[in-house]
Amino acid sequence: MHKAATRVAESTERSLALFGAKAAALSQLAAMAAECSEPGWDGDTAVPIDPVAVMSAEGFVRALPDDVPLPEFGPEPDGAISLDWIHSRNHLLSLSIGRSSRLAYAWLNGSDKGHGVARFDGQNVPPLILQIIKVVMRSGHAGLRVT
Amino acid sequence: MLASELPEIVEDDEDLARFLTSSNQFNAKMAKPGAFLPSGDDRETSVFRHGSEPRAVLWTIGDTHLAGRKFHGAAIVKARDVRAALLDVFADEPPPRHAAIRGWPWQDDAESQKAERKARAAEIANKAILFRRQENAG
Repeated sequence: MHKAATRVAESTERSLALFGAKAAALSQLAAMAAECSEPGWDGDTAVPIDPVAVMSAEGFVRALPDDVPLPEFGPEPDGAISLDWIHSRNHLLSLSIGRSSRLAYAWLNGSDKGHGVARFDGQNVPPLILQIIKVVMRSGHAGLRVT
Repeated sequence: MLASELPEIVEDDEDLARFLTSSNQFNAKMAKPGAFLPSGDDRETSVFRHGSEPRAVLWTIGDTHLAGRKFHGAAIVKARDVRAALLDVFADEPPPRHAAIRGWPWQDDAESQKAERKARAAEIANKAILFRRQENAG
């Protein structure tokens, strides 16, 4: 009984910590969108970050399983948002979220690389994306085969 | 010879500076791939033909080009690394020292096009060196 209670308490603590981490990530996302809310935020012809992209990115972060690292966010000149998992300069995944449910991505994993398009239904992160995140964030110790 | 007195052809070993106007275009390790993506209308990425030194000149170029807009630093990459990503770089003055990364893929399918562009931007980011501007710099 005591062990079960301890497990529940630990699980609750993890959930709270995770909620806090996701809340912090979503706060960073909002700050980035605010920073890039004006046309020409790049000193050139960039368009403002699209509010639809922000909502989609929020949904994507919420849909990430608990054991998957949270991304960094970056602005893109077409108003999309880049979700980046960067372990090192040659082990990374960059995923674009814009107005479409189809998400463009590119990854580097040591000397391997790839790119493609995955569909996000708003609820479930595409399994292939989860696989790539886990591999590049483990610094490529495992091979990544994507077709 | 151009008005800047630079040659018309951008040589492979030339440094190219991409100014970073958002703190989210880089992290402690590197400039992120998105920092190199082209602007939608221009179909090109704006860079300047200057390396990390003299640093004061680099920041002056940024201040002038960005017309007082705050920027956080620059990612510097060799022209050969841009070309290795199957893109090209051309002199594009004025303003002085300005150049443009061109040859970004175009496809009918917007997301497939974006994925190809991101792949090339990631290769450039992999090679680029980040130089941060001191926050109290003028």
